[in-house]
Amino acid sequence: MVDGASIVGLGMTELGRVYGRSPRRLAADAVRLAVADAGLALGDVDGLLVSHGMGGSPGIELADTLGLRDLRLLAKMEAFGATAGAMVSYAAMSVLSGTASTVVCVFADAPLKPEQSAGSAYHRNAPAGSGVAPGKAEWYGFGGMTAALGFRSVNAFYALAAQRHMARYGTTSEQLGAIAVSTRAWAARNPLAQMREPITLADHQSSRWVAEPLHLLDCCLVSNGAIAVAVTTAERARDLAQPPVHVWGWGQGHPGHRKERGSEFGLTTGAVTSGPIAMKMAGVTVDDIDVCQLYDCYTYTVLVSLEDYGFCAKGEGGAFAASGALGPGGALPTNTGGGQLSAYYMWGMTPLSEAVIQARGHGGERQADKHDVVLVSGNGGILDHHSTLIVSPHPKGI
Amino acid sequence: MGAGMDIGILRRDGRTDPFFDGTAADRLMIKRCEACDRWFAPDAGSCPGCGDEELAWAEAAGDAVLVTWTVTHSRPDGDGNAPPPAYLALVELTEGPWLHARLDGADTAVLREGLPLRATFEHPAEGEAYVLFRPV
Repeated sequence: MVDGASIVGLGMTELGRVYGRSPRRLAADAVRLAVADAGLALGDVDGLLVSHGMGGSPGIELADTLGLRDLRLLAKMEAFGATAGAMVSYAAMSVLSGTASTVVCVFADAPLKPEQSAGSAYHRNAPAGSGVAPGKAEWYGFGGMTAALGFRSVNAFYALAAQRHMARYGTTSEQLGAIAVSTRAWAARNPLAQMREPITLADHQSSRWVAEPLHLLDCCLVSNGAIAVAVTTAERARDLAQPPVHVWGWGQGHPGHRKERGSEFGLTTGAVTSGPIAMKMAGVTVDDIDVCQLYDCYTYTVLVSLEDYGFCAKGEGGAFAASGALGPGGALPTNTGGGQLSAYYMWGMTPLSEAVIQARGHGGERQADKHDVVLVSGNGGILDHHSTLIVSPHPKGI
Repeated sequence: MGAGMDIGILRRDGRTDPFFDGTAADRLMIKRCEACDRWFAPDAGSCPGCGDEELAWAEAAGDAVLVTWTVTHSRPDGDGNAPPPAYLALVELTEGPWLHARLDGADTAVLREGLPLRATFEHPAEGEAYVLFRPV
């Protein structure tokens, strides 16, 4: 029986408005970078877990692209924004059980096109395509009617969730803005971040409405690129190139909120389930968490996740965010790389990559002083899927 | 307000004819599982209770309450013209299902959880009729 699973390699391509490389090529590049970062060779890899974003590629053909042979584990995984956490947990279980010894987990996406707004990458157009006068676009069926009526972007769905929380608990736009401001303050210290110019609460409040109650500065970036991590046993990790990041615990939560009477949509997330499972496995409580890397597709997602993990009581996420706890110098450094809001949007790999950097102590100007226990969240769909990882620079149990 | 709401032209897709037959006659048709006595949204594919994939269509009363809402703002086009803000909502039908819906005659000052709403039907000159919800 081996003694634990560890993240030993991190590979990140250029992120942001990166053009000219397909998602498959980006994924292959990230895998090579992660393997090299670990001080390994591609031939050492015997497991590959692949995930993709909006483009539907890459899949398991990535193994062939990389020329990998005699793999013991190969799968495409899909739990939307919870996939990165799910991949790392599957990789950890695989190395712990002996299924494979070195598993690389990768995510790639390239939704941005030159000369196109970031928002349009996630926007639904009429099937007749763009260039048709709005009143002449044709929409098909009940789903087409819903889109025609205005539900064309994920922004509207998260806005419905955030507004419900506001109506129920008195959460305010200024409290959401506090998250945008603290996250940008971290991004200013991260050379990898796409948006590094500091912002104020006034900037947040005056940024244009996207979908009330969400301003533009409540919404994440859109990025092209790929990120990969390599996972092996804690024993093997000791001899590799980087400080090991030990995976202490993992969990998932898929609440299955139905759109019908009695639903808690917008009020609670799968963190209610995945958090306690991961923390129990890790042998920690919320009081032991030094740093949080939370999936921040919207400021609101951070706020509701903090509540559901138990960092504050349900309904008090707004006050907690506004207290200054999350920013540089705060009691709970959160999204220390600038998150998806300000750094780069690589779905669940955004919080995971910064967790690895922080746990290693490689955060440079943004390094959290205390980083013994780092919590990583993933969130997919419209708060439908959730993953939690607990990682540490220390072997589990020490 | 319907006249000012330029949503495009709605066409049938072969799967929801009873829904659009309903809107043409000012009736809100949704899905129902008779065996389980459960109501579903018009795009429901199956009943999670019994697995039935041939859900019946049945007329809803058309009464609802507001669950939550958003006002979406589109970016102006090249000529600086932006469509008017859209009041979008999740509404809870009396029968239980939630619908993603657009509100008519709404104002953020009056919107609240539980606000009573009533289905109304728009009949554009071209394309299928559709449903909106108005505060009662």
